Amino acid sequence: MKATSLAKLLGLLLALVLVAAACGSDDDDTEAGDATDEATEESTDDDADATDDDGAMEEDEDAAPADAGACAAGNINISGSSTVEPISTKVAELYEEVCPDTFVTVDGPGTGDGFALFCDGDTDISDASRQIKESEAETCAANGVEYTELLIAFDGIAVMTNPANEAVSCLSFADLYALLGGQSEGFENWSDASDLGASLGSDVAPYPDAPLDISAPGTESGTYDSFIEIVLEGIAEEQGDEQLIRQDFAGNAQDNVIIEGIAGSDTSLGWVGFAFAEENLDRVKEIQIAAEPGGECISPTVETIADGSYPVSRGLYIYVNNAKVAENPALAGYVDFYLGDGYTEGVTRAFGDSGYVELPADLLGEAQAAWESAK
Amino acid sequence: MALIEPILNKKTAERVEAQIRSGGRNTPNLLFQGSLLAALLFALFVLGVLLFDVITDSWPVLSERFGDFLASPKRSSAEASGVFQGLRGTFWIGVAVILLTFPLGIAAAVYLEEYAPDSRLTRLIDINIRNLAGVPSVVYGILGFTLFVSLFNGVLGDREITLGRTTTAGALTLAILALPVVIITSAEAIRAVPDSLKEAAYGVGATKSEVIRSHILPYAAPGILTGTLLSLARALGEAAPLILVGAVQGRLGSRTGFFGLEQLGERFTAMPIIITGYAKEPGSDWIPVTAAAIVILLLVVLSFNAAAVLLRNRFESKREG
Repeated sequence: MKATSLAKLLGLLLALVLVAAACGSDDDDTEAGDATDEATEESTDDDADATDDDGAMEEDEDAAPADAGACAAGNINISGSSTVEPISTKVAELYEEVCPDTFVTVDGPGTGDGFALFCDGDTDISDASRQIKESEAETCAANGVEYTELLIAFDGIAVMTNPANEAVSCLSFADLYALLGGQSEGFENWSDASDLGASLGSDVAPYPDAPLDISAPGTESGTYDSFIEIVLEGIAEEQGDEQLIRQDFAGNAQDNVIIEGIAGSDTSLGWVGFAFAEENLDRVKEIQIAAEPGGECISPTVETIADGSYPVSRGLYIYVNNAKVAENPALAGYVDFYLGDGYTEGVTRAFGDSGYVELPADLLGEAQAAWESAK
Repeated sequence: MALIEPILNKKTAERVEAQIRSGGRNTPNLLFQGSLLAALLFALFVLGVLLFDVITDSWPVLSERFGDFLASPKRSSAEASGVFQGLRGTFWIGVAVILLTFPLGIAAAVYLEEYAPDSRLTRLIDINIRNLAGVPSVVYGILGFTLFVSLFNGVLGDREITLGRTTTAGALTLAILALPVVIITSAEAIRAVPDSLKEAAYGVGATKSEVIRSHILPYAAPGILTGTLLSLARALGEAAPLILVGAVQGRLGSRTGFFGLEQLGERFTAMPIIITGYAKEPGSDWIPVTAAAIVILLLVVLSFNAAAVLLRNRFESKREG
């Protein structure tokens, strides 16, 4: 009697596991078939957006068997900037078609977190939306991690407001400092910054009398650091302002949340990676930027970012651990592909239809040369 | 004399009579009843809005490519992305919780209730377990990181590949998280077993272990099962501890099958992590994918809850019959 009730209890638990297992085995079967589906699916994708790049891609695929020696089986761990993550992911997907035995894991906790892992020797590649900081480089050196820095693409930072905010269409660095710099702390209204802006020579001030709702990245984000470095730092130094940026807004690491914040207020102000803003042009308006008050107002576009005329743009980097390249042949193959056959599609199609701005040929050549000499 | 006077008071008598005649439906009573109903409706309304929102958002994905969605990993394009790796991770976490936490938790509960002497130490342990059940899940993530990722680094999988952040580390972390809840609910179910039942068994000469096996556990089974399955459902819905243990939010390079044991030593992800990852993607075409992943996780968790209810009813009807 006692034995049967215990057996029933166990039986029920087992049944539960089996039910879960039955659902699971279904997935398992389809997954097995999916590996082939995946290949066909992606190749039809490529055909669908037939461009010059794809022509090149197909040739490369044909050429792949000749390169098969470079296709080593192995695992690659990548972490770092969430801005660069889509590029590394896209390149990994493309590389998987060529070298199915290389498993690439890509995570995007942020540039700073990425370097923390990288300098501990945990990751093979660190994605970064800024160059490595001195303090981070010291950690790497202390742990004996030697690396190669490779510039891989450009990304503009889009300064945004709500599409309903017609009063603001072009701001200079001076205006952005007046509204967002260290001295602006406590300004709850655009017009609070008018005097400061005017004293910096702004031609846009006085600003509209409307609530200033800031929606921007937080300190863990490379986009936050880059914005300070490119836009605010210069004026802050002239002003003797050591704080650089106001601390009284809640930064957010998630680009979607920043976009929501911009869309949520008619008189919002904030910034985010160019590609993210472009994906959401129905909800946010990109503000034109002039480096100097009275200077030429320039909209962020692929062209203005690539030729450097848009003032708020930055380089995107990958950092490769040299020691890991020597011991993991799969890593060398992946980086070769990153800067080679997978480059154009990886960078310009990082988000499917859109992506980042490719390096001009000379800078890409420099990156390739740096990589060749490092490996 | 003064005590019975109020009842004889004419006013009171009238009120009592009125209340009895109206069937208790006076205004304050109705208001009270109404506010209770409103509280219930509010909770249901919030749940309803959430379900409606998520299901309408996810419909394009669930109706058009349900099978494909279950079988695909996360990819760079929303149209080709799915939850396979997340379901896989969540399944193995569930297995670990069932295999580790249930026996350990129930055994601990039996010891605490039936064997442990009623000493200061026992009471201290009891209070500690109760406190542990209320510890925020992030703290368990830090515990899991220290214990399973750093300490067992390289033991639970190839360090070069996993950095110590393996499925096993994640599953063990959530197993620990679920343990106190399992102990508490099991102990409470065991405590609820009537003494007369135990005494009857002892009376016919049963030993303590026989009483536990033949009387206490079967009688407490519905309560134990409900508690354990609810704690399992909670563990499967946790994201914060897994993030600390190093679950991958982005691309997870792995083509191990659903039941492939080698994944226990590989890096991992889970449903709540997949959902966080999808929610962070830019562009509106990821919204249906995120919503669909939420629906799948809800289905997994709700099916465990439903199983708990069904099993409890079954056991209870048996006990009475």
